[in-house]
Amino acid sequence: MGTSIVGLGMTELGRVYGRSPRRLAADAVRLAAADAGLALGDLDGLLVSHGMGGSPGIELADTLGLRDLRLLALVNSYGATAGAMVSYAAMSVLNGSATTVACVFADAPLKPEQSAGSAYNRSSREWYGFGGMTAALGLRSVNSHYALAAQRHMARYGTTSEQLGAIAVATRAWASGNPLAQMREPITIEDHQASRWVSEPLHLLDCCLVSNGAIAVIVTSAGRARDLARPPVHLWGWGQGHPGHRKERGSDFGLATGAAASGAAAMKMAGITTADVDVCELYDCYTYTVLVTLEDYGFCAKGEGGAFAASGALGPGGSLPTNTGGGQLSAYYMWGMTPLSEAVIQARGDGGQRQAPSTDVILVSGNGGILDHHSTLVVSPHEKGA
Amino acid sequence: MDIGVLRRDGRTDPFFDGTAAGRLVVRRCEACDRWFAPDASGCPGCGEEELGWAEASGAATLVTWTILPKEPPAFLALVELAEGPWLHARLDGVERADLREGLALRAAFEHPDEGESYVLFRPWTERGSVR
Repeated sequence: MGTSIVGLGMTELGRVYGRSPRRLAADAVRLAAADAGLALGDLDGLLVSHGMGGSPGIELADTLGLRDLRLLALVNSYGATAGAMVSYAAMSVLNGSATTVACVFADAPLKPEQSAGSAYNRSSREWYGFGGMTAALGLRSVNSHYALAAQRHMARYGTTSEQLGAIAVATRAWASGNPLAQMREPITIEDHQASRWVSEPLHLLDCCLVSNGAIAVIVTSAGRARDLARPPVHLWGWGQGHPGHRKERGSDFGLATGAAASGAAAMKMAGITTADVDVCELYDCYTYTVLVTLEDYGFCAKGEGGAFAASGALGPGGSLPTNTGGGQLSAYYMWGMTPLSEAVIQARGDGGQRQAPSTDVILVSGNGGILDHHSTLVVSPHEKGA
Repeated sequence: MDIGVLRRDGRTDPFFDGTAAGRLVVRRCEACDRWFAPDASGCPGCGEEELGWAEASGAATLVTWTILPKEPPAFLALVELAEGPWLHARLDGVERADLREGLALRAAFEHPDEGESYVLFRPWTERGSVR
């Protein structure tokens, strides 16, 4: 028996105001159930993940009027949560503890009249304790932590800003074909180089968007999936990697990530290698994250991610279509639900203008913390082994 | 870049007593002979939750860096203390051309008129501070 994603629910995404994260989450679950042709009452499991701007928790079940659930939990491994939730849902279906599980992420960090950057930034005149001291000295944003990681990769392997720019350009090219993308205007390497520094070596166009909204998926058995409204997206494999990098001598921080263990586990379960992958949907909070993930998954050797990205492999017409909806860099930032939702859209053949030529095997990644957590899913329009 | 005013929070007294006296005081697990950053909450080796405090040499090397587009630019870094732990730090007296993995650094202490003293890291050679 296999498991499948049978429903996808996406609220309006971006500068969406006036709805709390809980309301957005509830709306996404309703949309996902309707998409699958299921009634809310058919759900017997609910897994919830939240971002920065408020916390829909397990009370979401009450908001939705769900009763007699057999699985209900708040799950958190940051940006790796979406893939983790889907794997927990699939395992619950496989072992019989639930039959039909919704997995939802919602966030609303953006406020009207506020810049996107300030949603993830800190500012103060007085600072308290060690955390305050680090922020006072200048490390006030996640951007700077990823900049430290990217700079280390550049210093060690010769990765260049232009190579990171190639990822931004390819991702934007895909976004131009996605009506839901927030940023659709094509860009060039020159545009990338000219965009302001956020935290050197990261330009503005190396950094993801910030978005409000919610996305939900529904997982059930492959057998049940056959009778539902939409083509099932089958789950072939999953994995996680939590390297536990310590900030001390010998750390691989910035050089290698949990993607190595996570990707290997997911591909082993799926019975595939990187050569079988048609499409990658990778967590792209920064261009650098895509680069290091491709290396750790084994699409190229360690240190060669820059050359691989610059080869044109990732964009439309390339050998490894990656982030075909525009990713978090250009489409919308729903943590791990950004790559997962695009994987479902591509596997169903719903990509329209941006549909990848072949989607038999799609690799989906999630990345959480400052490269602390990783999850991987392998999905396909076909049942495994069929 | 305006640093603002640093305040103690109840967990930081030995550290800020140290910076006030020009000493870099960090965490140490005596049982494991292991050093940690001053914000460490425990020793993963033995599980000890009440780490001791010990004076580090102040010698460090540059692991990686980022530059904030301020006027003047702010040089932020991960530095590796000679004793092993990494600290998130602010560099002082450096230029872009100086920046490389392994650059030798030394703790330097700032004593503002208001708020706690803090530590910066400056390039360092056997003959003393480069600048």
